[in-house]
Formats: sequence, C-alpha cells, structure tokens
Amino acid sequence: MKISYYPGCSLEGTASDYEASIRSVCAALDIDLVELPDWSCCGATAAHSINRKAAIELAGRNVAIAEKQALDMMVPCPLCFNRLKTAEKVLTGPTKDKYRYVLSGDKIKIIDIVNFLSREKILHQIHSKLVTPLAPLKAVCYYGCQSSRPPEITGAKDYENPMGMDRILKTLGASPIQWSFKTDCCGASHILPRQDVAFTMIEKLYKGAIEAKADCFVVSCQMCQLNLDAYQARINKEMGTDYYLPVLYITELIGMAIGQAEYTNWFGRHFVDPSRMLTDCGLA
Amino acid sequence: MESMAEKENLSPAKKEIVGAVMVVGAGISGMQASLDIADSGFKVYLMEEDSTIGGIMAQLDKTFPTNDCSTCMISPKLIEVDSNPNIEIITRSRVESVSGKPGNFKVKVKKRARYIDLDKCTGCGECAKVCPVDVPSDFDADMGSRKAIYRHFPQAIPAEFAIDKADRAPCTLACPAGINVQGYLAMIKVGKYKEAVEIIMREMPLPGVLGRVCIHPCEKVCRRAEVDSAVSIRDLKRFAADQVDLASLPVPAIAWKDEKVAIIGSGPSGLAAGYFLGLAGYRSTIFEALPVAGGMLAVGIPEYRLPETVLQKEIENITRFGVTIKTNAPIGADHTIEDLLNDGFSAVYIAVGAQKGVDLRIPGEKAFKNVQHGVQWLRDVKLKQAGRLDGKKVAVIGGGNSALDSARTAMRLGAGQVDILYRRTREEMPADPDEIKDAIEEGIHIHFLVSPIEITGSDNTADGVMCIKNKLGAPDASGRRRPIPVEGSEFKVTADLILPNIGQQLDNNFTGTSPINFSRRGFIAVNASTLETSVKGVFAGGDAVVGPASVIEAIEQGKRAIQSILAYMAHVPLPSEDVTDFKPDPGANYRPIDPDKAHLERAQVPMADAGQRATDFREAASAFSPEAAQKEAARCLDCGICCECLQCVDACKADAICHDDADRWEEISVGSMILAPGGKPFDANLKPEYGHGRYPNVLTSIEYERVISAAGPFQGHIARISDQREPKKMAWIQCVGSRDAASGCDYCSYVCCMYATKQAIISREHNPSIRPTIFYIDMRAMGKGFDRYYERAKDQGGVRYVRSMISRVVENPQTHDLTINYVDEVDQIQSEEFDMVILSVGLRPHPEAGKLAQRLGIDVNRFGFCQTPPLDTIATSREGIFVSGVFQSPKDIPDTVIQSSGAAAAATGIISGARGTLESVSHYPVEKDIMGESPRIGVFVCHCGINIAAVVDVKSVSQYASTLPDVVYADDFLFTCSTDTQTEIKEIIGRENLNRVVIASCSPRTHEPLFQDTMQKAGLNKYLFEMANIRDQDSWVHASDKAGATEKAKDLVRMSVARSRELQPLYEVSMTITQKGLVIGGGLAGLTAALALAEQGYTTTLVEKSAVLGGNALTLYYTEDGAHPADYVKDLIQRVKAHPLTTVYTEAEVVDYAGVVGNFNCKILTTESKIEIACGAIIIATGAQEYKPDGWLYGEDSRILTQKELEQKLFDRDATVKNAGTTVMIQCVGSRDEKRPYCSRVCCTAAVKNSLKIKESNPNADVYVLYRDIRTFSFKELAYKEARKTGVKFIRFDPDKPPVVGRENDRLTVTVFDCNLRMDITFDVDLVVLSAAIVPHPGSRKVASVFKLPLDQDGFFMESHLKLKPLDFSVAGIFLCGLAHGPKFADEAIAQAKGAVSRACTVLSKAERDVGGAVAVINNQQCVFCLTCVRTCPFGVPKPDDTQGVIFIDPAACQGCGNCASACPRSAITVGHHTNDQYLAKIEALY
Repeated sequence: MKISYYPGCSLEGTASDYEASIRSVCAALDIDLVELPDWSCCGATAAHSINRKAAIELAGRNVAIAEKQALDMMVPCPLCFNRLKTAEKVLTGPTKDKYRYVLSGDKIKIIDIVNFLSREKILHQIHSKLVTPLAPLKAVCYYGCQSSRPPEITGAKDYENPMGMDRILKTLGASPIQWSFKTDCCGASHILPRQDVAFTMIEKLYKGAIEAKADCFVVSCQMCQLNLDAYQARINKEMGTDYYLPVLYITELIGMAIGQAEYTNWFGRHFVDPSRMLTDCGLA
Repeated sequence: MESMAEKENLSPAKKEIVGAVMVVGAGISGMQASLDIADSGFKVYLMEEDSTIGGIMAQLDKTFPTNDCSTCMISPKLIEVDSNPNIEIITRSRVESVSGKPGNFKVKVKKRARYIDLDKCTGCGECAKVCPVDVPSDFDADMGSRKAIYRHFPQAIPAEFAIDKADRAPCTLACPAGINVQGYLAMIKVGKYKEAVEIIMREMPLPGVLGRVCIHPCEKVCRRAEVDSAVSIRDLKRFAADQVDLASLPVPAIAWKDEKVAIIGSGPSGLAAGYFLGLAGYRSTIFEALPVAGGMLAVGIPEYRLPETVLQKEIENITRFGVTIKTNAPIGADHTIEDLLNDGFSAVYIAVGAQKGVDLRIPGEKAFKNVQHGVQWLRDVKLKQAGRLDGKKVAVIGGGNSALDSARTAMRLGAGQVDILYRRTREEMPADPDEIKDAIEEGIHIHFLVSPIEITGSDNTADGVMCIKNKLGAPDASGRRRPIPVEGSEFKVTADLILPNIGQQLDNNFTGTSPINFSRRGFIAVNASTLETSVKGVFAGGDAVVGPASVIEAIEQGKRAIQSILAYMAHVPLPSEDVTDFKPDPGANYRPIDPDKAHLERAQVPMADAGQRATDFREAASAFSPEAAQKEAARCLDCGICCECLQCVDACKADAICHDDADRWEEISVGSMILAPGGKPFDANLKPEYGHGRYPNVLTSIEYERVISAAGPFQGHIARISDQREPKKMAWIQCVGSRDAASGCDYCSYVCCMYATKQAIISREHNPSIRPTIFYIDMRAMGKGFDRYYERAKDQGGVRYVRSMISRVVENPQTHDLTINYVDEVDQIQSEEFDMVILSVGLRPHPEAGKLAQRLGIDVNRFGFCQTPPLDTIATSREGIFVSGVFQSPKDIPDTVIQSSGAAAAATGIISGARGTLESVSHYPVEKDIMGESPRIGVFVCHCGINIAAVVDVKSVSQYASTLPDVVYADDFLFTCSTDTQTEIKEIIGRENLNRVVIASCSPRTHEPLFQDTMQKAGLNKYLFEMANIRDQDSWVHASDKAGATEKAKDLVRMSVARSRELQPLYEVSMTITQKGLVIGGGLAGLTAALALAEQGYTTTLVEKSAVLGGNALTLYYTEDGAHPADYVKDLIQRVKAHPLTTVYTEAEVVDYAGVVGNFNCKILTTESKIEIACGAIIIATGAQEYKPDGWLYGEDSRILTQKELEQKLFDRDATVKNAGTTVMIQCVGSRDEKRPYCSRVCCTAAVKNSLKIKESNPNADVYVLYRDIRTFSFKELAYKEARKTGVKFIRFDPDKPPVVGRENDRLTVTVFDCNLRMDITFDVDLVVLSAAIVPHPGSRKVASVFKLPLDQDGFFMESHLKLKPLDFSVAGIFLCGLAHGPKFADEAIAQAKGAVSRACTVLSKAERDVGGAVAVINNQQCVFCLTCVRTCPFGVPKPDDTQGVIFIDPAACQGCGNCASACPRSAITVGHHTNDQYLAKIEALY
C-alpha cells in the first residue's frame, strides 16, 4: 500500500534512529512511504507560540501539498501530527478565509503513526511476518500527550487510555503492561528551562514503570523518548536512584520481531543501552 | 357510567375498545402498573426481554433511605404479579410493531424460545447442577458465573429455568457428520468421558478411528484461534474414545423390523450405513471383498497412525447394531447386485471406495515390477503380502496424505532412503502439514517442484525416475499455482522401489451385470441429494461416488444414504434437501469473545522421538493425560452457549426441557400500552481514566450492589477483587456518566448521591472498620427523607464527604491500591490511597428502549430518554401509548412507583368503557359441607425432584403419615406442584372423600395459593389446608444428616396433621362497593385526581377548603422546561366543573368520616349546609404552601422577596425587578435547618428558572445564587448549565456561615463567606430573593385528625411505605397525592394525582368484594373494653363503641395480621385460621 509520509525535522536530526526504523519496518511490511514533496516546518514551538497565523499557514502548506497528492498522510512525530491536524481543522473551519491555503478537508486523512500501525490489517501483516516473537518482554507503553490530545483536534477516541501500541506489542508476542501513566507529561521542553520540574515528572514515570514491573518503555514520540532516555543517568545521579529502563520506539521493536537485522544499529543510538535488558530477556 | 359527551365520542367505536393493556418492561415500574391495571378490571400483558421479571431493583442489596432489603421488598411483589390471574407474563419477548389506534392496537410480538416447558418445569434446579457450560452471570454484573441453563436468583419469577443458546458452534457446522463438538468437549472438560463418547456416537460410530485420522475441519473454523490457537479437537476425541470401552455402553432397545439391507464394502461409509440402519431398526449385511473388514481404514492407513486393535474394536461394536460382516465376499460377476435384491435385501448401499491407484501416464510406468501403485502397496503391506525394504531406496510420487503414508511406511520397513517427488511447493501440498512435518523429522526427503517424466530401468527392474524441475505459473482451477517445467533441468532420482501415489479411482469389478451408470470421472453416478444410483433401490456413497476424500466425509455419505434408504423402504418420497451444504454463517450470532481472555497454548499430544518412531509401527502419537485433556477441553469458548449435551434432559425429572423449542411470533390486541423498559447503568469503561475493567479494585456501583448482597457472588462478604483482602479505606466517585457533557450525559442521574450514601452506610454495617469517603460535586438529597439520611450518614454513619470532582484514579500495579488526587475545600491538592474505589455510575436508557421507541415511532430526547410533553410525564408522542419509570427520566423507586400508577390510570382511562370485558374470573364448584364429619386427612409428600428426596426418605415419611390418626390417604409425589399432580390431588380428594389436605413440600409463601386453588376446584373450603415445609426448613438445611432430616420431616408432618384436624372452614362474605370517589383539596393535584376519576367513569366529589380552586399552581406562571402551570390549572378547573360526573364544593371541609374501604361515609360542612357523601375511595390532596421567612429582613423591606413573589413580579413585568442591577438569591431559607431538616426539592430549580428569566429581560443584570448544594436533578440540570452559561453566578456558602442581609439607610447588602475564596464578599444589591421552604398546609393537620391519618416528622402525610406504597395510606381505601405528601414539582404532582386515581380504581372497579375469612373476631363476653387492641392495630380497625361498651372490628377492614389477638390481655380476640386450638394441637403433637 502507498501512503504519504511526513517525517518532520526531528526525525532528520535527533531521532534519526526512529526514522531509520520506520523506513525499514514499512518496507518490510510492503508499505510504500511516499515522502511528502517539498515538506516544510509544521509550525511547532516557535511559530505557534509567537504567531498563530504563521503557525497555521506553515502547517497548512504541508496539508495542502498532501491533498494535492491525494494520499493519506502518516506522521510519526506527535507534535507535527498535532500541528497538522490543528491546521486542517482551522483551514476547514469558520475562519478559514483568513488564511492563504485552501483545503477541502475530506480528501485525505492525517494519521498518527501508532494509529496507522495498529490497524487491524497491518497487525495481521506484522503477525504473518513474525520471526522472533518478543514473548519474554514486559513493557509499558508510554504515549505522551500530543498524539491523542486534545481529542477535538486529534479525533482520538481513546485519549484517556490509548491502546494502539499495546495492541502492536501484543501482536509481537510481548506483554504490554497496563499502567496508570500512559499519557502523563514527560516534561517536554521544560527539560531546558526547568530541569527540576521535568526531572520530577520523569522520575514519576520511572517509578510507575518499575512498579508495573516493566523491562522498558515503548514510545512513539521522539520528544518523550529523548526526555526519558537522555536524562536517565543524570536523574539517577541527582536523585540517588538506579533506574535502568531502556526507552524503545515501537517501530524498533516491530523491526526486531520481524527480523530486520539492523535493529542493533538503532539501539546503538540510545543513551540507555537496551542490550543488557535484551540479554536478560533472552532476546539477544 | 361515562358522561354523555364521552358516550357520543366513544359509541361508534366502543365495541372495538379492547379491555387489555400491554406493559412493556417488567421492572418495578412495569410490575406496579400491571398490578394496578389488573386490579382495576383489565387484562394485562406484561412483556419482558429477560427470562425473569424484577428489573434492576431485584439486583439491589438494600434501598435508601430506609435500608430495607430490596429482595425482601420485591419478592412479595413478584409473587403478587405472578399469581394475579389478570396478568399474563410474557418473558423473552419483544414488541416488534404496533398498528391500529388508541383503544384498539394490534401488537406484533416476538417470543424468544426458552427451551423449557413452563407448565412442566418446577424450578428444582437439578438441570443447572449438571450443565457443563459456565457463562458470566449477567445478574451478578458479570462477576460470578452461571450455567447456560439458569434462573437469575432463587426467588425469581417466573421460577422456571431458561436456556441461552447462540447459533450452533462453527465446529459442529463444519463437521461433515454434524458431530456436536462443543457438546463432547464440554463433557471431557467435566470428566464425563462416557457421555462425551455417547454424544459422538449419536452422529458417527468410529470415535477412536476418527480421533486419530480425521482431517478435522472443525479445528480450521475454531474461534479459539482468534484468541490464541484452535482447540485440539481431534486429539480430544481420541482421548475420550480411549477412556471408554464401547462394549460397556448399552445398545438402545431396538424394535427390529423385517426388511434387511445389503451393503457392499466395509469401509467407513459402509460401517456408518450399517450402524445407522441398526439404530433405525433394520438389520444389514456388509459384503467385503478382502479378508479383513474396515476398507481403507484397515488396508490404507498404516498401523502407526491407526492401530488395528482400535479399528477392530469399533467394528465389533458396530456388529452389535444388527450388522453382519461377511469378509472374502466380493460382489461382482459371480454374486451380483441383482442376486442381493433377489435374496431378500430390500435395498443395496454400494460403498466400495476408490481402491485403484491412478496412473502417472509416463513412459516406463507399466514396464517394471518394482513400480507399484502406493495404495496397492500399502494394502499388500497391511495384508502381509509385502516384505521389508532393508537398506533399499524408495521414491514416492505425489503430495497427498497417502503419498506420505507410503513414504513413512517404507521408512518403517527399513528403507535406506525415501524420496518424495512433488510437483509444487510445500505450501500447495494437500497433505496435513503436521504429517509433512513428521515425515521430514523422520528423515524423508521431499523434492519440491519436481515432476517425473520417465521411469528408467532394465530387465523388468526399474532403477529410478527421470525428473524435471518446475516453476510455478498462474493459478489453475483449484486455485493453486500451476507447475511449469523448466526446460533443460532434467535429473534422475535412483530408486529400488517406485510408488506412484497421485490419486485413487474406482475399481468397478462390483458392477457385474448391473446397469449402473458412471460419471465422467469414472465414479458411480448418483442423484446428488438422495445418493440413489441409476438402479432403483440401489444407492451409493463415499469415495466410490465423490472420489478419494476423507473418512468423515465417507461417513457423512453413509448417513445420508441411510436417510434415503429409510425413506425408500417406507415408500415415502426421498429427502431432497442437500444436507451436505453445512456452512457456518460468517455473520453468525455466537457468544462474544472476551477481549481480555487469557492466552493458553494449545496442548500438543506427546509424539515419540522421530528417530525411534521411524523404526517400527507402534502408534506415533500418544494420548493426553486426563488433566491435560480436561484443561485443553476447557479452552473451548462455548460459541453456541448451550452445548446441547442433553445432560439437563437426563437430569430433569419433570421432563420439562425441549431443546427443539423455537422462536414464535404472535399478534396481541390491546387498548393501550405502557412502555417501562427501564434504564441501564452507564458503562464505566467509557471513562477509562477511572480504570474500571483494568484495575481489579475499581467497581461500579451496580457491581458493588452484588458484592454486598448476601445473595451475590461473594455472599455479601466485602473483599477486594485483587486479593480478597477486606478493604479499610473505600472511595466513591460521584457523577460517573452524569452531569458530564464529555460522555454525552449532561443530565443528573438522580439516584447516585443517595445510593452511594446507602452503600457507604451498609459497608460500615458489614465491616465497621471500613472508612468510606464520597467524592461529590453537589449532594443531591431532594427526596422524601433523603436529607435526614444524608445528615445521619455524615454525623453518625462515619461517612466522609469530600466536595471534589475526581479526574482520575491511579493504580499501584503491585499492590492494586488506588490513589486519588483531589483538591480539598481550602484549595490544596491532596493525594490519598484507597483499597477500593466504587464508581457511582449514572443511569442511561436501556439500549433496547431506544430500539423499541424506534419501532413504535416514539420520540426520544437527545439522550435517548422518552420525550414527554411538559407537565405530562406519562404521555409519549404516540396517542394511547404511555411511559413510566427510568425510560422517561432517571428516577428512584418511589418516584417510579408513583409514575407507574399514574401511567396505569392514563392507560386505563382511555379504555374505561371496556372495563371488565377481559377480566378472568375463577369458577369453583359449590363447596362441600363438612359440618359434623370427622376429619379425613390426605397427606401428600413431595420429592421436589431430588431437592427433598435426596435427603429425606420421602417414602418412609408418607408411610409414617398414613399411620397417623385420621389420615386416610398418604402418598409421595415427584412434584406436588406440577400440573398433572394437581389434577391427581383433585381426583384423590374426591375419591377418598378427603376433608383436610396436608402438603409436605416447600414454602406456603410461594405455593399455598396454588394448592388452595386446587382444593377449591375439588369443592373443599380453602381453609382446610395445611402445609409442612420439609424443604426450606429441612432438606436444605440438614443435607448432611439424612436420617435426622427424615425424622424431622416426620415431626413436621405429624404437627401439620395435628393442626389440620382442628381446621375449620371459613367463609368470606360479599360486600357491595360504593363506586364513587371523594377528593379532598382543590389544587393542581386534587383537580387532576377528580377529573381522572370522573374520566374513569366514577362519580366524584371534590371538596376545597378555600373559596377558589387551583391552589399554588395559580401563581406558577412558567417552568424551566417551558410549561405554564397557571394556564394549565385554569383550564383544568373548567374541565372539572364541566364534567357531568363531578361535584365541586368550595369553602367546604370534611368534618367526620366513618366506614371502611369500599364504603365510606363523609360528613361535609359547607358555608350553607352539612351534607353526607358516600364513597368507596378517598384521595387526600390538601397541598402545602411557601414558608414565610422569619428574619433576613423579610417583610421589613420591599426589596426582599420570596421566589414566588419574584415570579409574580416577573410575570407582572414589575419595574423594580426589571431595573434591578444586582439580584442575590439565597437558597435553603427555611429548608435543611434544625427546624425543618428536609430539602424543599423545588427551590434550586426555581432559582435557576427565575435567574434565567431575569437575564432574559435584562441581560446586563447581575444575578448571584448563594447555595449549599445545587439540586437540579434529572434534566433540570440542563437549566442549571444554561444559567451558568448565561452568566448567573453561583456561590456556595457554608451552613455554619450563612449569608447576612444588611441594610444601612437605603443601601441593601448581602455578605457571604465564599467557600472557595475563603473570605467574606459583600454585595450591594437591588433585590434579595429568598428561596423559601415548602411547608405543610395547616389544613393537613385537621384532615389528618378527622381521618386518623399519620403525619411525618415534618407535618406532611406519611404514606403506607416510603418505597413501594407511596400513594397508599395504611388505612385501606384512602390515598395520597400532591404537595400534601411532600415538596414536589407541578408535573410530579399531576403524575402522582393520576397514580392515586389508579390506586383508587383498584377499589372502585369492583361492584363487590369478599371480606372476612381469616380475620379477627371479638368475643364481647370476654372483652373488658381496655382498648389495648385499639392502640395495637397498625391499621386502626378496632373501633370502640362507647354507647354499648364494646369494641367493633369490621371484618371488611381487618387485615388479619393478628396483632390485636396476641396483645389482648383477656384473649377475647381470635383470628380465623390461626386459633389457639390449632397451634396448641401443633405444639402438642411435637412433644
């Protein structure tokens, strides 16, 4: 199947491991990713906190290109997803005349990556390609906020208790553990100005995962991944704790389970090295 | 009795009016409406979706605010409904459509099959004990489990059981032979292996064979694969077969017929044919050409797959069914088919199979002796005509199961190398994938994509096969990709033995001279559905017809042929339906799969090690252990729910189970309808933030009701689901699915605040160490007695209330403890841990209700509740169809009961002309006079199936009874209550000339009326009956002491016999009823009641104390939902005055009354005269009034008003109100204080509606409402929401710091301590509006004293029972409605007034009634006029007659409770049927 693909900037930079796993997994699942031609910034952070109109138009431009392509657009970065959905809503809403891009609004669907990969059909495909079932793996799925909230924008129905990644993990043979913090805040960009606040929030997630007896986190948001992964050592040091919780992208695990050998490369880019966990689980 | 006007309206259609009402939904609402209607002279059809009646109320533990047991309250009501001769309960039913018009509707009804004969079932429950299928108990909110055959609870009505069936399971539908797979798996699960085999043998005689070699199409469709993997059905069949020696199973008694049938071939098809012929009573002879029986089973399937012993045992078993097998008896040229028909065989079944191999059609194939067809070679091996192959090389050509059999057999005969040549890939191989795997494990080499092109060799001996490689091309007809040879890829496979195995064909030697036709493919041509050949009387089936297929298909053919042969021999047309067309319907209605079903891996049978098993012919696969088999069978999902194992049929002694019951459709004629389909608790899983369904210790309130219910799945023991630990800290979260726009429920569900309070109190009663906390938004305790209940819970009940809306529950996954964060009253965030959390889920309309409304064309509101017009809460959008209960709006039980009675009045009002036309009346023969006869006692001892008989030796009890004095007859019966036994008892009473009857069985509570009815039918007075409860009080409680229980049963019987000797006939006398009504009070309620009574056809007098009619409603100009009560009541007054059956007296008072229900006499004093009114029923509607505030500067300043005064000014467009910049309303003025600790119910809504009105006339006005809790219940919540949206500001105050109204010169201020800001706020105001309480009317006290009616603590009238009799007084015949009963809204008063009329009609509808019988009788000689009885009687019946110095007890009023008799110090009172003599005799008999 063919689908339009909007990588967003962070997948070209800090989250290139995520990007690599997405491309590899989609290729293996016969999903033809058509990168959105001439895509530009989604209007996140800087734009939408300074100039609402610019933010809408930046994102709107991309949606307009996607409509021209007439292909549903899959978006891995939850922040991009949120901005693109917001633009779609505004540009088809009552104030649409104030903006320069015109959308039809019903030509294509903008889909977040987890929603896409947890479609029944793709789950079946994953199941049929399963080489290494991840049976011993116990993980908590951590969704963060942006891919499902606010529901008026994202259209998510399960925004209080998302299940998409859980379903994918189950298909991979692993045990997703139900826990209470699936959509709690990761601290997001507070990690820069208010590390103390962000660390408290992240530490709460670590604690929750340990209480749930999880081996690792599974995420689909590269910002959540960064906050949980990059600062684990610092938090351990500052708080006198000894958390060891690898933070894996859902696509990395799919790749591993369906026999994409390069998964070790992706894992190699993580701050918390998953290899010890994989060895303990008997998966490496 | 109708007015002239009505007569004219109705007369043309009057004959068409049907005197019956259909009530849809049998919860408390439907039950109450049905009872009222049935008791008012109409027939009732009470429809219920479920298999029992009672609705949600039956599931509840206790009820608020009295903490009465819900079951104890509803059970008598259930029995009342059940025993009412005018109510026909139709369970499992659905209204499909309604046509016709009011007065004459035709209702199309679907009745779902119950699979139980209601006339035969006695409710003993033996069936459920043997049922192997567990399903979640819906009655227990899916917490416990029940069986597929079930009754929701022991007191359920109807008491008969029911079976739940979905469609037949896919496995059964997929089985060519139609074996009930689900059934035998269920039997294996419970260890009943013999029964499992019997179920298999119903459809097929070779369980051990098929348990090994079946291709198991069942497993391919098994729905368990959707969870993990299919159940190992075939291996389980083998397991079951291995456990049972078929020879030990009894052969059913077969009535042998003379005709015989010949069968050619002893393969599976022939064997099955013989077996089924035997079961049908025909002997058969099987002619087998080979020296062994079994066909391909014996000579085609190798020993390691199917041991010969297994096959021979099963063949031997078949010979017990009239089957003779002749081996070495070929049919053909020497012994022809014609010979058979001439030798006395009536029909012939040809089942010769396909025994010949198919040629490869390549060069060299026929040239060498070491090239042999695989089938032939396998037969030779089996018949010991082929020897070992030590070290030889074998090439097998083909990819089917038979090719693998050849290869694996060759391996076992010592071959050095075995190659299989197959032309496509492994994926296309037709053989069983397991077999392929096993073969490869055993060292067989399979060459894929290879075709043989020539067999090479010399001197009669082949040395190998020339092959060519293939690639796959386009798919062929079979859907598999066609192999295409690759040029130049030829190669040779060397071999010492070459076994082509590419198919089988028919060997037609059997034909002889017979003119049998063959198909183009060379098989026997038959009629596809009858299997008849071209020769009459000759049938054919199996591989010989269809080509090589599976064993199970061959058996199916044999079965089918027998159906035709039986028809042929009976000379009836042959069955033409193509029964092979069994296809599971993909959209079938199966039991849903639980998404959280735990993964359980499919059990594998142990296989012998590959290296070892390839060396000999021992069976490769071993069997399951019993534990493994039971565990594997338990993986079955019970797709069809009932598994049709028929264990219940065996267990049912009453022969009540009919598995072939079917759904039925019926048309019922009724005059009107009431819809009471009820509500359903909100699905808590729609609020995932609270974790219901994920966190085990989070329950919904309805689940918790079942937890605390003694009859629930935990017997009332409160424990956490996760670890069974008793909880200490418990939290309730209010408004889950209520007042919540996000879940589409922005209305208030009315009941949750109170039921949470109740649950918290009851929890502490169960376990005083529980600390309950209720998190709420507003505490809504607006019903009668609710606020006291709430205050008591807070002050004495140990219930903590925290006003905070909870956004989520967090679980610790290890301890399953639950954390709730909340903002406390001083705005601090708190985090608290709880052991359990209960979600107070709201009420939604029942999902079926929406569909019902759609089918009937009834409007619903945006939430799905029935849309009713303002002020008329019982009317739907379709004339003649009424509504009651939760379907109209969320409400509690008393409100439901009130409204249901109101709906009953409305439904009967439009058909009052047909009253009595469909009423059922019992006719009994004239009672026998037993005066002067000595007792002739009959004792009937009941087995109650095995309920009693399994513990008590009933034979010895009845034997013993026959020895007791005066007993002339005693015997024991399987079920004394069954219809046939009733007939028998009636006969015995006549034959033995009995004059006393003693039944030793169960409880008189449920069964006495039934037996008394039988006695009356036999011409005996019903008071000559006595019952001994040897079940509930004996066999059930002494199950472990059979001897002791038998002795106790004898004691109980002896006591009953002794009492029966003292029984005397009692006679009831008929009393004429004055069919007229009196209504006291001319307000909205009284006027409504008077008009409704007149419309029911009864002359009615209305008495009003004041000079004007209309009461409070006259100044009630508008409501929040758009009604205009003032206009309404003015119109009502005109209609009442105009009605020819009504008489109205104003400025009149009732000053005295006498008489009893049915015959009252009231003295009325008017301004002019004193008149007397005779009536049969009285309705009290004396109203209430607004409290005149004391304080708050009320009365001292014209800017301080009450809500009613404000409403008047708003209506008058008064400038002071219109120009007011700031208005402050103060709630709870005179309510919820020490003096009046009740809520006035209407003031919050009044404040909201008046605020909205102010904002409407002056949008810039500031309106502040100072409140304690906003109690805008049900849809009134929407008005509250609207008020907030409009900008009305609501500020909560603490009752300890009430608002203060101040005045300085002209400056008016209100100061209030804002609970959120934690500081005083002072407003400069233009207007202060006091939401003043509703207080009882002073006239009520006077009326109460005239009629000696009780008032409650607050001065409102006290009804007979707060929950279930809210319209009745304990004095029969007097009813209550309107504000006199308590504060309420106008629409509620109207519904209640109609309800009171409905209750009154139950009295007035009868011309006469029977009184007396078992009532108190006073002996004036003994009476000393001490008045003890007068004080004791709860109904106020004994009346002192001062003039004669005696007490008079009116038999018409006496309820027979016996309180007076036991209290009388002189023993001057006796109660009929309960005399001292009778009880003394009973006690004396014991000692």
